[in-house]
Amino acid sequence: MAEYELDCMGEACPIPLMKTEKKMETLVAGDVLVVHIDHSCAMKNVPEWARKQGFNVEVEEVDDGEWDVIIEK
Amino acid sequence: MKQFWEKISKNRYYQMVFKNPFTYITGAVLLSITQIALFAYSGNPWGVSGTFANWGAWLYELFGGSVEKWFYFSSTGAQNTLQAGILNHTGTMLNVGIIFGALVATLLASQFKIKKIKAFKQIVAAVLGGLLMGYGARLAGGCNIGALFSSIASLSLSGWVFAAFLLVGAFIGSKLLAKFFM
Amino acid sequence: MSEPSTPIVRKRATASRKKKRNQIPFGFLVFALMIVVGILLSMRESALGMFWLFGGCFGFILQKSRFCFTASMRDPCITGSTSVTKAVLVAFALTSIGFTAIKYSAFAAGQTIPGQSYIMPISIATAVGGILFGIGMVIAGGCASGTLMRVGEGFTMQMLALLFFVIGSLWGAKDMGWWTEHFIAGAPRVFLPDVFGWLGAIVLQLLIIACLFVAADLWERKKMGTTEGE
Repeated sequence: MAEYELDCMGEACPIPLMKTEKKMETLVAGDVLVVHIDHSCAMKNVPEWARKQGFNVEVEEVDDGEWDVIIEK
Repeated sequence: MKQFWEKISKNRYYQMVFKNPFTYITGAVLLSITQIALFAYSGNPWGVSGTFANWGAWLYELFGGSVEKWFYFSSTGAQNTLQAGILNHTGTMLNVGIIFGALVATLLASQFKIKKIKAFKQIVAAVLGGLLMGYGARLAGGCNIGALFSSIASLSLSGWVFAAFLLVGAFIGSKLLAKFFM
Repeated sequence: MSEPSTPIVRKRATASRKKKRNQIPFGFLVFALMIVVGILLSMRESALGMFWLFGGCFGFILQKSRFCFTASMRDPCITGSTSVTKAVLVAFALTSIGFTAIKYSAFAAGQTIPGQSYIMPISIATAVGGILFGIGMVIAGGCASGTLMRVGEGFTMQMLALLFFVIGSLWGAKDMGWWTEHFIAGAPRVFLPDVFGWLGAIVLQLLIIACLFVAADLWERKKMGTTEGE
């Protein structure tokens, strides 16, 4: 039940999604990944991708135009 | 006053329209309606990148260059547009309108943030990507809007041909992105 | 889409957060400014005001729905997701119907069909342009409309991309004489109703879009092993 963080601040689409995809492969079931993003499109496509993979996802708006996407494998 | 804005931002319908993102399909329907309305009004569908060539010409003239002899700007229509200036150019209004429309949408959702360039490779990506798009759009006669969306909707075969090669380009681009820009 | 029933337990402290500013007043301020500019433009020339209005609508819709023509081509290549692709196809279908109605009514009334300059010649230039544009939009993280929309969202990177898009356009325009002479001049322009008739063209077009929609959906299921909506 480890928790990892991934900093994708300032990254443009589709890099946050590609990084998340890569990172999730290294996680084991039960682990949690928190992705920090400030790209309004990634705030939609990262959660969407994760839901389609069957993970639990939460999106939290932490600041103006900044989000944490929390994915549980 | 502050409470008033707080109250607005908590309103259910405000959240529905201005705070939460629309679905892609909602976007598709609304864009289609606006496209059709624009076509009905002006007799021409939506185009974006043709205006960029005009901006380029005005910028070039600002630095003392001249495009008068260029084939691309040789028609009287193009010359008249260039002479009338940027403030009388409808395409410019459309493009700047897009920037401001997006700005208003972002502000009303309280999500505006200046995102600074973080790494040198982002500069390379922006410069290279911008140049490729600019040159490519001129060759194909437009961008994803003019040569793709508007062209296909106009029942032109060229739109579908452009789409097929765009997909090839996007595939190559994805590989390059994974290799050099990640 | 259903939210997960059990909230994810987070160990990380969520308390130390700076208070968010409310940007809504600024939103209304910019909106008011846009209206004033629109009125001033209309007084100059009504078309300028109308295009300003249309631009604002396009920008607002693009941003709200995060509509991205780049993603519609790119995501199938990267993750296999085709939700944006399918939305773009829906937009193609709806707009085709509207455009055909407008074009046909002009044709039936014996007037010139509007917007025929968008029936572009198909040549090597279309192919080269498509590939260059496709690479460029993926690398820069947005096509023409996407770049404009992201400039409005405050992306410095896209502001740079926009500047070089303009420079690239100028470069392309400079070379257009050569391209036209060698490839574009004799290239065919194919308006589908000329080949299949008006009804045939729109039916065929919608059929193609429907097939692509199904293909996109199957692609996503294959690539992502989607479990949603079985």
